[in-house]
Amino acid sequence: MHRSLKRVLGFAVGLAGVAAMTLSPAMAAEKKDFKVAWSIYAGWMPWGYAADSGLMKKWADKYGISVEIVQINDYVESINQYTAGAFDGCVMTNMDALTIPAAGGVDSTALIVGDFSNGNDGIVLKTGKTVADLKGQKVNLVELSVSHYLLARALDSVGLAEKDLSVVNTSDADIVSVFSSSVDSTAVVTWNPQLAEVAGVKGATKVFDSSKIPGEIIDLMVVNTGTLKDNPKLGKALTGVWYEIMDLMAKGDAKVLEHMAKAAGTDLAGYRAQLASTMMFYKPTGAVVFTTSAQLPRTMDRVRSFSFDHGLLGEGAKTKDAVGMAFPGGKTLGDPNNIKLRFDAEYMAMASEGKL
Amino acid sequence: MSRVTVHELWKEYGDQVVLERVNLDIPSGEFCAMVGPSGCGKTTFLRLLLAMERPTRGRILVDGRPLPPEPGPDRGVVFQRYSAYPHLTVLGNVVLGLEFQRAPLLARLFGAARRRAEDEAMAVVDAVGLSHARDKYPAELSGGMQQRLSIAQALVRKPKVLMMDEPFGALDPGTKAQMYELVQGLWRDERMTVFMVTHDLKEGFTLGTRVLAFDKTRHDPDEPGAYGATVTFNLPLDEKAERAEIVARLPALAASDADE
Amino acid sequence: MGRRIINRHPGRGSALFWGALPFLVLVVLYVTFSALRLAENPNDKLLPAFASIADAIGRMALEPDKRSGDVLLWADTAASLSRLGLGLAGATLLGLTGGIAIGLVPYARAGLAPVVAVLSMIPPMAVLPILFIVFGLDELSKVVLIVIGVAPFLIRDLALKVAEIPSELVIKAQTLGASTWQIVTRVVLPQVVPKLADAVRLSLGPAWLFLISAEAIAAQDGLGYRIFLVRRYLAMDVILPYVAWITVLAFLMDWALRRFNRSVFPWLARGAS
Repeated sequence: MHRSLKRVLGFAVGLAGVAAMTLSPAMAAEKKDFKVAWSIYAGWMPWGYAADSGLMKKWADKYGISVEIVQINDYVESINQYTAGAFDGCVMTNMDALTIPAAGGVDSTALIVGDFSNGNDGIVLKTGKTVADLKGQKVNLVELSVSHYLLARALDSVGLAEKDLSVVNTSDADIVSVFSSSVDSTAVVTWNPQLAEVAGVKGATKVFDSSKIPGEIIDLMVVNTGTLKDNPKLGKALTGVWYEIMDLMAKGDAKVLEHMAKAAGTDLAGYRAQLASTMMFYKPTGAVVFTTSAQLPRTMDRVRSFSFDHGLLGEGAKTKDAVGMAFPGGKTLGDPNNIKLRFDAEYMAMASEGKL
Repeated sequence: MSRVTVHELWKEYGDQVVLERVNLDIPSGEFCAMVGPSGCGKTTFLRLLLAMERPTRGRILVDGRPLPPEPGPDRGVVFQRYSAYPHLTVLGNVVLGLEFQRAPLLARLFGAARRRAEDEAMAVVDAVGLSHARDKYPAELSGGMQQRLSIAQALVRKPKVLMMDEPFGALDPGTKAQMYELVQGLWRDERMTVFMVTHDLKEGFTLGTRVLAFDKTRHDPDEPGAYGATVTFNLPLDEKAERAEIVARLPALAASDADE
Repeated sequence: MGRRIINRHPGRGSALFWGALPFLVLVVLYVTFSALRLAENPNDKLLPAFASIADAIGRMALEPDKRSGDVLLWADTAASLSRLGLGLAGATLLGLTGGIAIGLVPYARAGLAPVVAVLSMIPPMAVLPILFIVFGLDELSKVVLIVIGVAPFLIRDLALKVAEIPSELVIKAQTLGASTWQIVTRVVLPQVVPKLADAVRLSLGPAWLFLISAEAIAAQDGLGYRIFLVRRYLAMDVILPYVAWITVLAFLMDWALRRFNRSVFPWLARGAS
């Protein structure tokens, strides 16, 4: 028995070792090898191109580091992985950056403000022509996502509240098939490319979209603040490669766009249509202006109110101030001693000044 | 109470002939013991009589009428094993036959009808000597008691013909002797026609009023299945003296049958 | 050298120790790494401390939700159990009728056995999108998923169990004058229902799997819905107790079915059969 006990203990220690390697938090320190995660979305396709074209390697080499760009099929899973410490950076929206890593205590910096949704998210009704017709309907959407936020903003605009309708959590993968074939589903909130599909269903009307709340649904490249602080080279390499590709896209380089379209599962025309409802910041200057504007803190205040009302800041949050945010120029929102989400225009400014 | 007539009966499974040219005329009330080596069609013959299977050729008549095409309450059966329902008590097993008869839809009797049926069933349970075990389940009974139960079950519907397939094959000798007494008494009271398959020649000669021996008369060494068995001798044992004589000669008969 | 390991048996106390050991190891590992991560980041959500898990349990099980006014854990449990109950009831009914028909009636066997065998090979999750389209997003499609996920197994298992009833018993019933219907109700049913209960016990795992998958994709309430909803903000303090609660529910259902067999069919336990 003693011998087997020892064996069991040995096994347990081994198991603990493996667990320690996988579960221990990522330690911030100077390092050379980095991993960032991305998932498919119109405004994030450049990251896939950066990996495939070798441009990422070019920029990483320039700063003497290596950056692995990993595509994750499930968007939420990619953010969870980043929050758990498996990645140094990850693409996500402003709302998810606040509610997942920041609310989870992982100090995160929005390194690159890539675009904001300008019609890429919308509300489509089968029976009804206006937002007010949402009243009493069952609405299919990915609950607690930017779709939910968009719905809340739309309801605000006509003086309705969420209790005036019922929300059915529905996977984004199933929204199109459900809305187009099931009589149960009469209202959906979703994003592109699904939005284009459901808006095309016979008799359906798009009653609201993100172009009515411009600049509120923002797509970011978020990196771990500690890692960025210790490794400014990572910030420079990521920002550098991003704006090189932005240049190519702005010029309308068909080969580059074609590559992205194919990776997004559409054709060139389809991808161009998606980009049309995405306000891309092709020039770093525009992104810097947007990030340093007084509008951004106001937007984030709306987002954090929505998040707090829906319990997204976690049970530890007694008020919407629980998770602090910092903006360029020293402005903060919420608890200044618990700043977990930082909007940083520094690296984008370097890009606009040609210092990368 | 039934005359069983068998006319030019053949049973084949594909190329294999199991029974051929079986002709019998058994008067009502006979106790037929069917003996013979393994695999010579005794049990097949019993299954044909039960109408579990159909003959390939030939006819079986009961009281001059063709045998019904499936088992029915006119022909009762006692198998060697698995004869009693494990989920019913002794009394429940016996009452079941009456419930099948009297409650077509639910197969359950209630109130006065149930009490009447239970009284009738208890008479049969008494007759097989199981009244002390009326509330026990079959799994709680010994092998001999299970066969008593099986016989009681078969008797409650008062069949005209009772078929038994090695009913005592799994019992020890002491129990067997008691069962012989029981079966002979019941047979005498009910006067039904009995067909009993047995491996045991002595058992056959002790119980039967007629012994039917099954065997093959023709053999093809290259094709064992080419010829079937038939009734090689059909021996009425009406004379007590004759029976005693044969039983006395049994060891010799058994020796000739030793390859079983 | 002592005896071979296959011949060494733990005593009562020692068996208890060996049984508890893996649980202990898991708890110790959890506490250790939870503490490690929390030391690094007090807001860490991945491995919350037991205290915050207890908080979450209190919040979910005792306090009404701000938005809906329901106490979420119980509302979710009621929704999930009613779906699971309906699905299992439907599957059981199908399993019983289909199994008895295939096991007892040669024409039903010829007509149904092949199609059931083929249907049982279809991975139910693969047809989920079709179910959503055909039956809508409401309760029906979730119940139907459980039914089509579990019923083919129950039908085949029951058909086998019916076929295993010694033919002697069926023949004997015929010689007692029983009709097919009487044979079904008095001979076959009482003998296969205990086996059906065992088969349903084995189906509990798949049934839960189908339920939670369906709830994850489209729902307004339910245990699976909650887990996949709060996953959106990595609320492990809610997910872990929900997983434990589902385990407890599954265990209780298994236990209840076992008890059902023992109390409803006393003949199973009596005598050594």
